[in-house]
Amino acid sequence: MADASEAVAAGARVPTGLPPGQRVALLLVWLAAAVPVLLWLTQRGDPELAVALVAAGTRWLVRLAIGAGGLLLVAALLFPPVPAWLRLRWHELRLSLTSDRGPLLRALGELQHFASAQRHYEVGRLALLRREFAVAMPHLQAALQLEPQMAAAHHQLGLLLFRHGQLGAAAAAFARAEELDPGHAFGDALLYLGRCLDLAEHHQRAVDVLRRHAQRHGGNRRSHYWLALALQATGDRAGAAAALAVAAAPPTQALTAEENWFRALARVRLWRGAGR
Amino acid sequence: MKDLLAHADEIPVTLVLAIAYATVAILTRSIGLEFAPSDQLFALGSLAPMDVLDQPWRLLTHAFVHGNLVHLAFNLSFLLSIGPALERSMGSLKFVALYLVAALGGGIAVCLVYPLDGAVVGGSGALFGMMGALVAWNMHSGRHLFAFLEFEGPRRLLSMIAVNLLLGFVIPIVSNTGHVGGLLAGFVVTFLFLTPARRGIRSRRPWQVAFAALFAGLSFACVQPVWRWDWLYREATVATGERRQALERALARSAATAPLGPDVDQAVAQQYFQVMGEVLDVLRQRRRG
Repeated sequence: MADASEAVAAGARVPTGLPPGQRVALLLVWLAAAVPVLLWLTQRGDPELAVALVAAGTRWLVRLAIGAGGLLLVAALLFPPVPAWLRLRWHELRLSLTSDRGPLLRALGELQHFASAQRHYEVGRLALLRREFAVAMPHLQAALQLEPQMAAAHHQLGLLLFRHGQLGAAAAAFARAEELDPGHAFGDALLYLGRCLDLAEHHQRAVDVLRRHAQRHGGNRRSHYWLALALQATGDRAGAAAALAVAAAPPTQALTAEENWFRALARVRLWRGAGR
Repeated sequence: MKDLLAHADEIPVTLVLAIAYATVAILTRSIGLEFAPSDQLFALGSLAPMDVLDQPWRLLTHAFVHGNLVHLAFNLSFLLSIGPALERSMGSLKFVALYLVAALGGGIAVCLVYPLDGAVVGGSGALFGMMGALVAWNMHSGRHLFAFLEFEGPRRLLSMIAVNLLLGFVIPIVSNTGHVGGLLAGFVVTFLFLTPARRGIRSRRPWQVAFAALFAGLSFACVQPVWRWDWLYREATVATGERRQALERALARSAATAPLGPDVDQAVAQQYFQVMGEVLDVLRQRRRG
């Protein structure tokens, strides 16, 4: 498993620029821009083909839209996480559109006058909050180069790496954060460390870490769900079912979009017979 | 009016546009209540997809021509109410760019949606573009993109856009296609190009390039509408010799793409295409005097 400091020194690679959703949208814009030229080239060979292609394309687009709508409806009826997934996505979209960029701009401005590890960390944290990963990465790395003992920066770097699937480096960063400041961020570093270990196929270690998280910090729907997945991977079906039951328990108060999502996932796994 | 003239040096483009509207209206004799004759409107730049094939500048010129006095008065009053504030905010050069791109956007939308001989005139597409620009401007000036909704003025702007679009759907002679095209073009060009870039953000560049390419692609589609069956038939009627025969054979095969439907007899289809071609030719000749 890679060491966090190695990842920092090597400048762990995080895809810079646009997030995946925007890339897809950008690709669609480029495709739309290319269509007229492609049709023009097509008609030079066969004048009829361009017209036929557009007529057929239009028909298929309409069918596709109707089909997708129908599919979504059926999925919403048959696969209960769809409403939870829609709520989660809506929540994220609203957050990204209405989050204030002012603090990040101020933090960037302050950095121009005097650079310190704390200020780099602040920029990284705020940029990560706004999902501006290309901005966040270099500042978190700079913060750790200036102050390698900063647990919060290790935690944030771990989140950034986890989001981009670099599990080894992320786990190392979370472990370092937990080591420097036990119980950091109310156990969030420990929780993500457990998840990283599980995803990296170290299931038994993941179970140990997630159980430790539950003991120390009480656990939540996400941690119970992740613990259930890790237990299932180790073959402890009864333990997995018990953890899923906790994650899927009826809420006593309004759940956040994220809690609701993990509860929905847990419920579906229980319905499918997980643990039996 | 007194105010406008007193601050003429701050809003030169708005005033030039207003003068251009009035001058073209006088030249096309569209200063009565009756709609001006189509040949007059054609002479000074009306837009029909068919004409754009040979005269692409009509994508812009239609935004200076108006059909009658009511049309002119409505657009002129709109221009003079919204233009000065916008020009002062963004500067005259950007304002010119906005007007031209929005006019072009309206023209492109018409070319993509209308039948070949469907003609439109009027600056309302570009004026809708100004409203789109105001929305984009407001979005960029707040704490976050939708912070402007907290204020009464921008909320009214949105309801004004909605009401005008609704009116466009209700009144049959209004070209809402051009309105929507202008609105989108004005919004996009302002959002991506005419507002100051937010510091620390570099992600606007790919969008700028992509939308510029899209705009170029759609403009190309207006000038070379090879995807339209009516364009294809027009090509067939003007083509000569072997190419013409080949095209007509292809057309007979492609009856499925025409409104006649897939089961139509080939001979009937050919007759239909022939008649349509003659109609288009007559229309074209009439429109060109």
